[in-house]
Amino acid sequence: MDPFGALPAPTDLVELRFMRTALVELALLGVAGGLLGAWIVLRRLAFFAHAVGTATFPGLVVADATGFSGTLAALAVALGYAGGVERAGRSGRDPGDVATALLLVIALAGGVVLASDVFESGAGVDRLLFGTALGLGTGDLWIAAAAAAAALAATVLLGRAWTAVGFDTAGGDALGVPVRTADRLLLGLVAVAAVAALPAVGALLVASLFVVPAATARLLTRSVGGLLATAVAVAVGQGAVGLYVSLWLDVPPGPAVAVVGAAAYVAVALATAVRAPARPAPLEAA
Amino acid sequence: MPGALGGLVTAAVTAEGLAVSYGGGRPALEEVEFELAAGSSLCVLGPNGGGKTTLFRALTGELPALRGTVAVAGGRPAYLAQTERTRLDFPVSALDVALMGSLANGRWWLPARRSDRDAARAALDRVGLADRASDRFGELSGGQRQRVLIARALVQDARVLLLDEPLAGVDPASGERIERLFGELRDEGRALLVSTHDVESARAFDRVLCLNGAQIAFGDPATALTRDVLERTYGGEIVVLEEDGPGGAVRAVTVQHHHHDH
Amino acid sequence: MDLLEPLQSGIERRALAEVVMLGAFCGAFGCWVTTFRLSYPAESLAHGLLPGLVLAALAGLPLLLGGVAGVAVAALAVWVAGRDGRVGSDTATAVAVTGLLGLGSLLALTPAAPARLEELLFGDPLGVTDGDLAAAAALALVGGAALVALHRPLAAVALDATGARALGVRPGLVRLALLGLLAAALAVAVQGLGSLLVLAVLIGPAVAVRGLFSTPARAMVAAAAVGALAGVAGIYASSWLGTAAGASVALALCGAAALGALLRWLAGRSRAAPSPSA
Repeated sequence: MDPFGALPAPTDLVELRFMRTALVELALLGVAGGLLGAWIVLRRLAFFAHAVGTATFPGLVVADATGFSGTLAALAVALGYAGGVERAGRSGRDPGDVATALLLVIALAGGVVLASDVFESGAGVDRLLFGTALGLGTGDLWIAAAAAAAALAATVLLGRAWTAVGFDTAGGDALGVPVRTADRLLLGLVAVAAVAALPAVGALLVASLFVVPAATARLLTRSVGGLLATAVAVAVGQGAVGLYVSLWLDVPPGPAVAVVGAAAYVAVALATAVRAPARPAPLEAA
Repeated sequence: MPGALGGLVTAAVTAEGLAVSYGGGRPALEEVEFELAAGSSLCVLGPNGGGKTTLFRALTGELPALRGTVAVAGGRPAYLAQTERTRLDFPVSALDVALMGSLANGRWWLPARRSDRDAARAALDRVGLADRASDRFGELSGGQRQRVLIARALVQDARVLLLDEPLAGVDPASGERIERLFGELRDEGRALLVSTHDVESARAFDRVLCLNGAQIAFGDPATALTRDVLERTYGGEIVVLEEDGPGGAVRAVTVQHHHHDH
Repeated sequence: MDLLEPLQSGIERRALAEVVMLGAFCGAFGCWVTTFRLSYPAESLAHGLLPGLVLAALAGLPLLLGGVAGVAVAALAVWVAGRDGRVGSDTATAVAVTGLLGLGSLLALTPAAPARLEELLFGDPLGVTDGDLAAAAALALVGGAALVALHRPLAAVALDATGARALGVRPGLVRLALLGLLAAALAVAVQGLGSLLVLAVLIGPAVAVRGLFSTPARAMVAAAAVGALAGVAGIYASSWLGTAAGASVALALCGAAALGALLRWLAGRSRAAPSPSA
């Protein structure tokens, strides 16, 4: 049997109502993912972005089964996780990859047990982990719009501070930039935006919108402003193409967006590496 | 205290009985007591881990004083921290970095103004990098990067500058150029505190401060750098080149221990 | 709660054998994984091998083949990603893993594909075949022999890499051997625990016994015991409570780690009681 069905017409993305909703949702998430993704890439928060999404999985399972708001449950978990990461970073005690790795395993295993054996809602696990194009409602759109707006506002207000702190933390602190507050807001915003992305791309693939497009953009730009704009463009485009692929192959959007994004990254990485072989920055013995 | 132009000038930096620790435990630095006038320069000597960076972080206010007091006059000091590799791949231009100095005006959430941009260009011009304004910071040489950071301090119009090993890894020609800049900044009435491993270079400064977990000496480099002071500052890690009689000042170099992380 | 009941079912007997062998070897090996700070690479490889598993399942090939191929591709992707200095190796690794995870789940979720994604993600100890048992036994024996042979070089490098070089040990080769063992362990263990949970058997027991033993050898023996016991506990729990087997084993392994951490924390508090002297 041919798994690759006939290619759908691209106009289906706007003509089918549920696809319109999904398209708008992914566009809004692309704005949030591109803007915050730029900061995630600059501040080396890629793993945090992935982890905060994954950690919400058991909360989503419980909410799904009990009728509680999935968004609120996920927000509670995500902000709790972000707070824990921030406190651990501040106290200087590095919990290490070991603790976070175990935490994520517990979240995933716990969620699976809850889903398949406690609540017996096993069918929903794929949707919670990988997202859905069909089940998105206006509530999800509003949340995504809020996330995009928050990302934009934060970039405008905090962008200079985040750049200064990322570039030179000690110097930025000396300049009077509120380093701790700025970092807290960044972690909190990433957590909130990740929650907004959960319905569409799922708990496991938040990074597909929040890390991959910005990484691709980073290969193409030489300024922070350029990175922000390019990341949004790549994220929105990737979301649209990914949604198309998900419609064509009848798979959830998360994996499709992830594969499209990774392919774009590889293509850009090869193209830019060929054009300008890596020039090492001038290094002197310190 | 008498200043270069005669008459009294106020102290730009004062420390009295200062002790600093990380997280309230044992002090990393103690018994620090010195005064630096505006328009003068201070060389901070000491081994790795001896407290030079700790002192600077206390002066910026990042570390609170465990005991004693520390005061910096004339607004926020500019802090040029030791070079870290991560800064080299940040997508910022020399102009962007210089412009960061305007964040010190207290309204960091507002975009940079036209006047700030002009000031940044003027500062880059002053340090001789006007033509490199749009180059990536990471693509500049070590000496050029230090000058960009000085430009940032100029945009900030800092009256006190803290430079943590600014000449490390910088070629001698650039180093001389930077030292000339130090002189200009000093003559403008700013106060410079420069930490270094180069004991000999201390002689060019107005004052010297020797730290090794505690203050060993403070004063005029011509008289303060005795063999005893240097030995207490650097443990056994000095090579004496020339001695001016017992108890007098010596010419010496420090033995560097480079720690390479692989 | 009949202790003998699970032992009477052939399926569960095999599951118990599998988790005992995997728990023992991976538990011991995990001590080196944590010492050498390989959790993040291990996790990246574990997630990244998913497409290999899925393709093997789709093609009707043994999952072990898929695991081996998957981990090889993942290792290559992570290595290439790590060399790109432009975005930083952390970010590039995240891109590689996200892409591979996406590819694996995409292949598995196409309607034409057999719906086995959850078993590939979360493990299926009860579906263990004779081939899987043989692979686990081989891993335990050959891997165990390798660990014994490499023990002194590993301990030397862990203690002091530069000093070890002076003793004639090549830290680069040692690390390479570790990564090879890691890849093999992942390819085999992923049958039982799944791509997302396999990390539990590699680092859970090591964390459980951390700091309790004076020599690495003793720690490894203890971790092996913890791994095997936790595995058994997980299978029993799954049998009595009716919970998913792979996830139950993973939770048991993490529970052991949490218990160890808790005991360490309590011991630390009682030792840190303030003394009246200045």
